[in-house]
Amino acid sequence: MSLTQIKQSNISSDFNPSYRNLIINGAMQIAQRATSATGVSNSTYPALDRWKYFLSGPTVNVSQESFSLGQTDVSGEPEFYLRNTISSNSGASDYAIVAQHIEDVRTFAGQTCTLSFWAKSSVSGNKIAIELNQTFGGGGSASARVVTGDSDVVTLSTSWQKFSVTLTVPSISGKTIDPSTNTSYLELYLWLTGGSTWDSRASSIGNQSGDFDIALVQFEAGESATEFEHRPYGLELALCQRYYYVPLNYRWLYALTSGNTGNRRGNADFPVTMRSQPTVTPTWGQYASGTLGLQFGSAQGVTFYSDGVPDTSYTTVIFTAEAEL
Amino acid sequence: MTYKLTGNDPLLGTPLNAVIRLADNAWIPIDEANRDYQEYLEWVAEGNTPEPADE
Repeated sequence: MSLTQIKQSNISSDFNPSYRNLIINGAMQIAQRATSATGVSNSTYPALDRWKYFLSGPTVNVSQESFSLGQTDVSGEPEFYLRNTISSNSGASDYAIVAQHIEDVRTFAGQTCTLSFWAKSSVSGNKIAIELNQTFGGGGSASARVVTGDSDVVTLSTSWQKFSVTLTVPSISGKTIDPSTNTSYLELYLWLTGGSTWDSRASSIGNQSGDFDIALVQFEAGESATEFEHRPYGLELALCQRYYYVPLNYRWLYALTSGNTGNRRGNADFPVTMRSQPTVTPTWGQYASGTLGLQFGSAQGVTFYSDGVPDTSYTTVIFTAEAEL
Repeated sequence: MTYKLTGNDPLLGTPLNAVIRLADNAWIPIDEANRDYQEYLEWVAEGNTPEPADE
């Protein structure tokens, strides 16, 4: 049987996963921490996976909202969108940003790329300013953070619209990444409000309030936006779990030897190798009291220990593991 | 924000290699790739001192 060459131009990119979207959880599906949060704090991941918030001044509430089945306002039958509700901000230095940190500052360095997303606001005329920044790592030898500032801005209406913005990521020629840590990243900022102090970075959007609804965020190489790439749910979850993981079931801790007076151990493997050794927050499950801690840890799992638990008690633990950027 | 050092494994006697963030009992690895550990280092650089480990 002879083989016939298939031309690339004959392959539809719309339905073939190409991993072209570097935004993780751009469809707002994954919510391991929570599906909503009120009174979001600065520099935190309050709800939907991978979406980080920076703010000073305003009150920010976030929630995962559902599209109705069969709606035609946003193409592709997405299930969820992210609602950001901004209130109580009027100061010149007030701001609120929803951000995503894309691992490795080499990402798209020196290239033209395109950000696309759907958005609407409860207040017609509200704007979202887009900014890209580069961080070269946390070590002392790393180059200083590069803030591009004032990259672009889009104006929202009360109806869903698809926006596409072409951006140029700065070259990293001559820069230094700290070789000892995996902490460099490309940073996407979506400015939701920014007083006059931030005009040069937030395209003078000013102080804004209301709901800012965002869906199907995609960031890809090239000068034009393609259709949103719907990755399988399990794959998207695994991509998120590289940075945050909360198991759905308790882990048992077992006595090491017969007659051991309280010392117990238990292992928990992570479903994927995490970006770095995570911060692990253990809490007791049922039936236990005493000392609970971590004996060993790595990017692939942890070993818990307990001490001082009566021999007649069971010992279970639940935990979260975070290795976000 | 306050932190507490960890001592040795109660059974094996080996170092536990973490600091505890007391606000939420988070065990932060001594690893500069971890952002929480970076925040801890900044906190120490500001002149703060963690609580000692349990005996």
